[in-house]
Amino acid sequence: MDGHDVILSIKNLKKTFPKDDGAMVAIENFNLDVKNGDFVCILGPSGCGKTTLLRMVAGLEPLTSGSMKVRGEDIEGPGSDRGMVFQEFGLFPWRNVKKNVEFGLELKGIPSEKRAEISQKYVELVGLKGFERSYPRELSGGMKQRVGIARALANDPAVLLMDEPFGALDAQTRNQMQMELLRIWKETKKTVLFVTHSVDEAVFLADRIVVMTSRPGTVKNLWNIDLPRPRDRASSEFIALRKNILDELEVQKTGA
Amino acid sequence: MSYASETKEKVHALFKKTSPLRLALMVSSLPIFIAAWWIFALYLQGQNFYYLPTPLEVWNALILSWELDPVTHQPLLANINASLGRFLLGFVIAIVVAVPLGLLIGYSSLIDAFSKPIIEVLRPVPPIAWVPFLLLALGLFWGPVITIFIGVFFPVLSNVIFGVRSVDPLLIDVAKTQGASNRQVFTKVIFPFSIPYIMTGLKIGVGIGWMCIVAAELFAAQGGGIGVLITAGQTIGRYDIMFAGMVVVGLLGIVTLTVSEYLEKRVKIWMGMM
Repeated sequence: MDGHDVILSIKNLKKTFPKDDGAMVAIENFNLDVKNGDFVCILGPSGCGKTTLLRMVAGLEPLTSGSMKVRGEDIEGPGSDRGMVFQEFGLFPWRNVKKNVEFGLELKGIPSEKRAEISQKYVELVGLKGFERSYPRELSGGMKQRVGIARALANDPAVLLMDEPFGALDAQTRNQMQMELLRIWKETKKTVLFVTHSVDEAVFLADRIVVMTSRPGTVKNLWNIDLPRPRDRASSEFIALRKNILDELEVQKTGA
Repeated sequence: MSYASETKEKVHALFKKTSPLRLALMVSSLPIFIAAWWIFALYLQGQNFYYLPTPLEVWNALILSWELDPVTHQPLLANINASLGRFLLGFVIAIVVAVPLGLLIGYSSLIDAFSKPIIEVLRPVPPIAWVPFLLLALGLFWGPVITIFIGVFFPVLSNVIFGVRSVDPLLIDVAKTQGASNRQVFTKVIFPFSIPYIMTGLKIGVGIGWMCIVAAELFAAQGGGIGVLITAGQTIGRYDIMFAGMVVVGLLGIVTLTVSEYLEKRVKIWMGMM
């Protein structure tokens, strides 16, 4: 597969939720192609359906009409080819770090030596060596999300879906985790679909930013971020880009 | 941190935080209770009321019963074993039935719809109200055992159902995105999540079950039992032995409850809930 293959393809996507008086249209006419190895951020005002979109890619929500394909195959329910990282971590409190990371491997019936080998690789990748036997309650928020990332990667998914993964962390940890994520992304060459409402975070992380409109959510604009990494938040280009995207979001807020 | 050092710290903290007055009250309460009992018993016996023995008489009856009590004609341990055996048997059957049933009811709204009316009709009947029927229908061994079963069954069932319904939906989403089938969601998420709730049900069940066993034995039981000892003591006028039986019931109740509380806590810590 060459590096420019489309991994995720979304066409004419529509999502409605049943409501007392008819249906609420959450997402409409949404189109997006994500190429292999891309880091795509989805940015939009709250309630624009960006989390719903991610949940649909994960297979946790059915789509109403249109199509969503991963590696050319229609998404029909959840599957381990799409790993998801959740804002509230979702670690199993009765499993230690190693056992949390091995969860998906266990489901597939992979033997324990092989599981241990794979989990060790990802535990080390996310910088948690030495914490294999720790339980979630013993970890800080940042460490918990490292486990969440390792667990999602352990299945070797085609796409890594991240739903405001650093939203529950303090600002300092958040910046640190953003740098860590970029390092992990470079090492694993994964395709990432990252939902956030922080313009700063999106500009810092993404190759491409999808700006969504408020409900019904659709693609308002696509930004290619060509700034070299590591990006300097204080650089004039970074600040200008952030301001332009912020303005775009502001316009639709006042326009709505 | 080991449990021993944890306990030590807690005891230490208790003494550190507790005021001298509080401590004095705590330490003196049981001796004062026993002294009051003693004085009251002596006073009543002076009035030719012999139903309340003194603590010393009860103590002597305990020592006597330990060897061979004159009421049931067997050592106290045999009576204790008979009661505990029935208790454990009824308890285990209740768990074996209530846990899977609770998991099913909690998981499936259809099974819940069917079973709920039946459960709600049966639940308010006190287990002891079943005893006369159960003794007739099942005899002197299984009658008391099934009384325990009824006593333990409902609290365990309610807690299991509650546990299944308390499962964090986020964890189910996580399992699904990790590729879990419905069956795997059940065995790897819903069941483990319910375990601490099951333990709470067991703890409540222990308390109720213990009351049931003694109550059932008060009617009759095969092979003796503490309840039998109490009733037999009353029948032949050995009130010291009647009270000795009550003391044993109380002490064993404390032991079983402490053990179950300890297990519940350990499991909750192990499951990461405390």
